[in-house]
Amino acid sequence: MPFKDSGQGLRTASSGFREFKSRMSNKQTPFVMLAVAVVVILIGPFLPPGLRSLVIEIMILCIFAMGYDILLGFTDQCSLGQSIFFGTGAYGVVLAISYLNANLWLALIIAVIASIVLAFLTGLIAVRLSEAYFVIITAIFFSIFYLLSLSMSWLTGGDDGISITVPSLSLGFTELSLYNPLVNYYFAFFFLIISYLILTRVVGSPLGKVFISIRENSERTKFLGYNVFRYKLIAFILAGLFAGLSGALYAIRLRYGSADFFSFDWSVLPIVWVLIGGTGTLIGPCIGVVIMSLFQYYVSAWWAQYLIIVGVLIIVILRVSPKGIVGYIRSRKGKVKEKG
Amino acid sequence: MPSIDVSTLLFLLSDGLLWGFTIALVALGLSLIFGVMGIVNMAHGDIYMVGAVLALYVLEWTGNFWLSIIIVPVVIGLLCVPTERFVLRPFEGRPAVTMIATVGIAYIIQQVVLATFGGMHEKMPNPWPVVINLFDVGYSGYRVLIAVISVVIIIGLWFFLYKTSYGILIRASIQDKEMANAMGINSNKIAMATFALGGALAAIGGVLAAPVTQVFYLMGADVILLCFIIVIVGGLGSLKGTLIAALMFCTLQGGMSIILTPVEAKVAIFVIMILVLLFRPRGMFAK
Repeated sequence: MPFKDSGQGLRTASSGFREFKSRMSNKQTPFVMLAVAVVVILIGPFLPPGLRSLVIEIMILCIFAMGYDILLGFTDQCSLGQSIFFGTGAYGVVLAISYLNANLWLALIIAVIASIVLAFLTGLIAVRLSEAYFVIITAIFFSIFYLLSLSMSWLTGGDDGISITVPSLSLGFTELSLYNPLVNYYFAFFFLIISYLILTRVVGSPLGKVFISIRENSERTKFLGYNVFRYKLIAFILAGLFAGLSGALYAIRLRYGSADFFSFDWSVLPIVWVLIGGTGTLIGPCIGVVIMSLFQYYVSAWWAQYLIIVGVLIIVILRVSPKGIVGYIRSRKGKVKEKG
Repeated sequence: MPSIDVSTLLFLLSDGLLWGFTIALVALGLSLIFGVMGIVNMAHGDIYMVGAVLALYVLEWTGNFWLSIIIVPVVIGLLCVPTERFVLRPFEGRPAVTMIATVGIAYIIQQVVLATFGGMHEKMPNPWPVVINLFDVGYSGYRVLIAVISVVIIIGLWFFLYKTSYGILIRASIQDKEMANAMGINSNKIAMATFALGGALAAIGGVLAAPVTQVFYLMGADVILLCFIIVIVGGLGSLKGTLIAALMFCTLQGGMSIILTPVEAKVAIFVIMILVLLFRPRGMFAK
């Protein structure tokens, strides 16, 4: 298994004190998260416009990255076709608004349902295949969808895309315009928090435990009577759902959708995020998003061929620390604990 | 819609079949690399692209296209050796990881070509402007020629793999790597040679295809898609399956172009692949 998290071993080999310490550090995590959330909420109005828009983008992409972590980090399925769901989510919103005149919530629901259905259908075919076939077939899926989105320009607008007028956000008691960047900021933040809560919930639930057992030893999980295919499919759909949600929010932020949402970059970036930050950690991928977005934002301005660095980065991460930054920190902590 | 008559159909089918031999070269390289090393080579299409770009440069510098058929594969093969040794060696045998790593390589290759060669579509002059009468339609002689060259290379490859002692070592590594190791075969050397061979095959494909397609830094994307479909349907690592699937799919694609647009033909092939996978999840000729 390629993406093992050796941190698991630490938890099972427990001496009483270490267990206590790790439980304490687990208890700290919600407080750290809460602190980060409060900072993000408070800092919103004071950010300069350029940086604020970057933060909005980062928050939206974090949803994508965390969803992908369920797939790659928790069930060890490396999909190269995630842009399908990102693009589907984006077009779900764009088409629902421009053709159906849907309001914002309906458009979002349509987008998410569309990506769930698509993830279910592609997952049915892809997930039952073995590892090498799975990665190749997801790549093929991606290519076909990208080709279709480019050629069906009567529906998708092709490379030029379709622009939309984003309807205002109705909260029941008041109407807010998403053209106000601050509203957009809290809108994205709301979905980030919801996604994070749902995903931590999933990971902590029995379902998440089954995911981990599939990653660690899918043969044995099968012997224990679990339907491995079904659980892998659930993970695939979850990842597709959050990719779709993220794509939808991204399209709302840019107020347009184009075939570019299906492009290869959106399939590779999730892998890079998750690998940089650390597989199977949920928070790690978000750190990956922050690093990559800052990197893209600043480096692409002065060097057009910055993708070379991305390529080198991918190879270096795989070589140096397959568990990413968070995995690295955890393993360092583990070492220190063992010494002490 | 063009009128459907038998000679047009035969013409399109044979056009597809002839093109299939060149695609088979590229796909065989991909299949060989997977079979021996467990590497899903996402950069294969880009090696093909580099082959085409280098062919243009060779033509520019020497004025002779035919030289590039010899020079380019050798250059690419030599470049592949250090790539395998220093970049891919630690990941071998883990398909998902190699796939990500080769995506990294693909990015590097694409951007380097974009920076040096540029982002425009270049058309190469036809090096053998002869017209052949094929089912009452004038047909480019060069396309027949590249099919013949491809067949010669495939036969050479078959001879190498099945009749020479080194080829036996490669096939032994495909069948059972650990056993091959236990028998004293230096699998590292085999892997290095295989990666160079696979890269060279893709490069030859690129060189041969350069005059009939447009040379462009993203031209590998189309070919890698078709090759992956072929390799999946043929069965990963099965050379016979790859060859048969390549010829079959290209002929089909040619035949379908009579009623379908190129994109629709690609989608149709994709649907066929899914149908095959539903019944044979490991391809038609998997071990």
